[in-house]
Amino acid sequence: MHTVFLASLRTHIRRYVAAAIAVTVAVAFVVVVGVLTSGAHSGLMDGLGAPYRNADHVVSPTGWPSSELDPKAAIAFTERHGENASATGRATLPARANGRKLSELTTVGPIATSEKWRWQKLSSGRFPARAGEAVVDVYFATAENVAVGDRVRIGEGVAATDVEVVGLVESPSPPAQASMYVTWPQLLRWRDQVHLNAVAVRGEVGRLPEGAKAQSPEGFAAERLTYVQNRVNSLAVMLLLFAGVAIFVSVLVIANTFSILFAQRLRDFALLRCIGATRRQVVRSVRREAAVVGVLASLAGALVGIGLGYGLTALIGALAPGVPMGAAELPVLWLLGGFAVGLVVTMVASWLPTRRVVRVSPLAALRPDTAVDVHTATGRVRPAFAAILLVTGSALLGVAMVQDSTALMVAGGGSVFAGVLLFGPVLVPRLVWITGALLGPAGRLATKHAVRNPRRTATTTASLLVGVTLTTAVLTGMTTWRSALDEQIGRDHPIDVALTSPKEPVTTDLLNRVRHTPGVERAIPVDGAVARVSGLDEPILVVTVPAAAQVARDGGAFARVEPGKIGIDSEAFGKNLSLRPGDRVTVRVGDRRARLQVAVGTGWGPAGVVAPETLATLTDAPEPHAVWIRATSGADPARLGGDLDKLADPVGATIENGLRTWESLDRQLGIYTWSALGLTGIAVVIALIGIANTLGLSVLERAREHAMLRALGLTRGQLRRMLAAEAVLLSVVATLLGTVIGVVFAWVGHETFVKRALREATLQVPWPSLGVVVLIAALAGLLAAVLPARRAARVTPAAGLSLD
Amino acid sequence: MTTTTRQATQETVAASARNLTKTYGKGDARVHALRGIDLDLPRGRFIAIMGPSGSGKSTLMHCLAGLDQASGGTVTVAGTDLGSLDDDALTIFRREHIGFVFQSFNLLPMLTAEENIVLPLELGGRRIDDAVRERARMLADTLGVADRLGHRPAELSGGQQQRVAIARALITQPDLLFADEPTGNLDSTTSAEVLDHLRRSVRELGQTVVMVTHERDAATYADHVVTVQDGRIV
Repeated sequence: MHTVFLASLRTHIRRYVAAAIAVTVAVAFVVVVGVLTSGAHSGLMDGLGAPYRNADHVVSPTGWPSSELDPKAAIAFTERHGENASATGRATLPARANGRKLSELTTVGPIATSEKWRWQKLSSGRFPARAGEAVVDVYFATAENVAVGDRVRIGEGVAATDVEVVGLVESPSPPAQASMYVTWPQLLRWRDQVHLNAVAVRGEVGRLPEGAKAQSPEGFAAERLTYVQNRVNSLAVMLLLFAGVAIFVSVLVIANTFSILFAQRLRDFALLRCIGATRRQVVRSVRREAAVVGVLASLAGALVGIGLGYGLTALIGALAPGVPMGAAELPVLWLLGGFAVGLVVTMVASWLPTRRVVRVSPLAALRPDTAVDVHTATGRVRPAFAAILLVTGSALLGVAMVQDSTALMVAGGGSVFAGVLLFGPVLVPRLVWITGALLGPAGRLATKHAVRNPRRTATTTASLLVGVTLTTAVLTGMTTWRSALDEQIGRDHPIDVALTSPKEPVTTDLLNRVRHTPGVERAIPVDGAVARVSGLDEPILVVTVPAAAQVARDGGAFARVEPGKIGIDSEAFGKNLSLRPGDRVTVRVGDRRARLQVAVGTGWGPAGVVAPETLATLTDAPEPHAVWIRATSGADPARLGGDLDKLADPVGATIENGLRTWESLDRQLGIYTWSALGLTGIAVVIALIGIANTLGLSVLERAREHAMLRALGLTRGQLRRMLAAEAVLLSVVATLLGTVIGVVFAWVGHETFVKRALREATLQVPWPSLGVVVLIAALAGLLAAVLPARRAARVTPAAGLSLD
Repeated sequence: MTTTTRQATQETVAASARNLTKTYGKGDARVHALRGIDLDLPRGRFIAIMGPSGSGKSTLMHCLAGLDQASGGTVTVAGTDLGSLDDDALTIFRREHIGFVFQSFNLLPMLTAEENIVLPLELGGRRIDDAVRERARMLADTLGVADRLGHRPAELSGGQQQRVAIARALITQPDLLFADEPTGNLDSTTSAEVLDHLRRSVRELGQTVVMVTHERDAATYADHVVTVQDGRIV
């Protein structure tokens, strides 16, 4: 039997290539996740504890991460300990270097002057010694183009201070990291903006600020590390879910490959039985073949995974140096795990097909040319079981939508999908018929080929179905989420950019210059008057904007304030706003006054919005004090903000840039969408390999039929087209079915949990993108047919007819 | 037979071969399947090509039918030199001028008998209209399988499958009908029926039939017998 095993391995190994590739991709996926996870872990492990290494105690909020230290109390606590304490934390502040505005995410943290508390590592220049000097994180410096010797203006208005960059540092500790560092007394200039997350203390802790706890440095680092690691780990779990999908698809591909190969070799097996091989011997021989394929493919997958994983680690290090990615040691457990998964998957997938081998009767060898039974029975049990799954699953989904239960949704979705897969041998061939009818007479033969073996057809399409369903659900879900968020952002940031000039009225010249700034689509002058509002220290602008709809993203709803009310931008006034919605305030312009009720919103800058009637009672001569701007779509928010800043600064006006928030949220969503698509894409690629493989094996199996067709007058081109049509039919049907199921799943998901999170979300189906998916699937199907069709067309009819 | 047909005119010759050779492989593994065959096939006759296994009779048929390219010499069918045709032209030539009945794998398993019969016309892009169906029905009737037209090959007996195959070969009214061991898988009664049908298509429809066989009994139905041995006609 050993000779037979080796010989058949030699003969058939090439036919296993596609199945092996599927396993390799799945295993590589798992290993890459492992390498990246270990890399992130080791990157986090370095550095995190550095700021606290010389402390006896670390004081941090008790309820972390949901609560933080009270900034005032923490600063007082740190001050009280003097040289024996060092705080970590940061303030997010506007900053400009060489007249250029830096990222809105610029943070400023403290750097100690004494060696023992200083944890940042100098990479060039020197450490700051006194107020007026700063060091910049080396990665931030690269990203924002800041160099030693530059002057940076931190803060706005009265708190604005110029500092000189004296050095660049590396600061790899997530809790303490900031874009730039200044001395502690310097940082206290912005004490209202500073948030401290921990204070390192030497000696006695003394009385703790309220809501704080003291831990050993090790305990503190462990707490933070666990938290960050959990996030890394949950990311790894999510990636593994995608890997799971890829593995499932590989199982389908492998199972299909084995059943086709074994069906083709049924007579060989029968012959072996005839000449005296026992069932056990035959089965053991084919299982050993599967094992060899599994071992080789898993090994290849592990190697590819290591290569890709370290390659990606290096790439992330080069492209995003801020991400803590350490050079991880080989994650042996992950490697073994990935290898085991590959081997187990291959063995499991080959189990059922090998069982069928057992049943072959020795007599099968004696029957002349039993044309491989083309009609596998679908039986009755299968559709019945499928129907039960479909009905139960739909019921579960219904209940899930009513009760907003995610668990029920997952169970119902799984059940429905399993039902569809089981129902495949009945459903898919019918769909192929319908689609094939559209192809006209040319596709008729292809259609008949495609449906001749319903179970094989169903399994082949199932793998693609899984991938496409996921892709569609992700696309639809993301589009829905995105449009809901866009709407919400529109409400929160109705005005892209607001230029507010409380002191001087806006001149026509300034308005014109704003209008001619690149990226400005429309700009309207906003009339108002400077007023004193009870409860606010500084005078503010009171404006009325009947024309807001021309520029607002929410259609101007925020500016339609009822008479007797005043709308205040809670973000523009910041934390110090003592006014609450519903408060009654007195607004005075000169000697006229009005009593108004406060309404709160966001996104139009430091001005109170009132109804035209209200403003008329306050002043007879309103002047333009602000310009509200709608940006052209695709405008670069940073550049537009910078350009407008240059216009606003000389006249003492300020800029409120809502577009930046809009854009960064938009970009994040884009990244999520593309990552999810990329990850599901792996499953789709495996599925397409599967289709090519099935087609390739079917071509081998049908060599004689093709030869006969050629003898009867089918040209090479016709043969190639027939096979291409068959592949396209399979992939398009799988894609269409997957699209439908995916949209339904997305709808259920939307009803179940998106609506709960974003009340006003309406389901958005991205038809153009889904159309592109179908088109890509059709093209990929065509591509999958290229090699098998070429091979089939090369055989001369005579050679094909004399094949056994 | 070769001496009598050598003087035959174009009108009476359906196909002819001149100095036909065919070799497979290279060097030591070189096999001479045909070693210079000269042959004329008279029109409207039933010709049997006989010979033992490995004699080259199947190769001869493949070359005469344009299924394979000869290594040397010429094959002329219905006045056309097959060597001058490229693959597509050859395919279309086969579609229009040559019919086939094989030993097995004769019919496409996923098509019904009727669909199998009209397949050559369909491949040629002809619309399957009522006239075509009527002709298929008539042929099936002649061959005694009219009641099996809606069935798939798996539901037909071996003899019925071969008769459907004959109907398919006849539907294009080919210049030449090649039958490769058409009775190889059939019992003697059914064989006799199939051979009778082939002979009737020669007598009644004026068809030219070339049958490759190694069975002496089958060859007795033929008007002429060509015997091939070691790649030569003897």
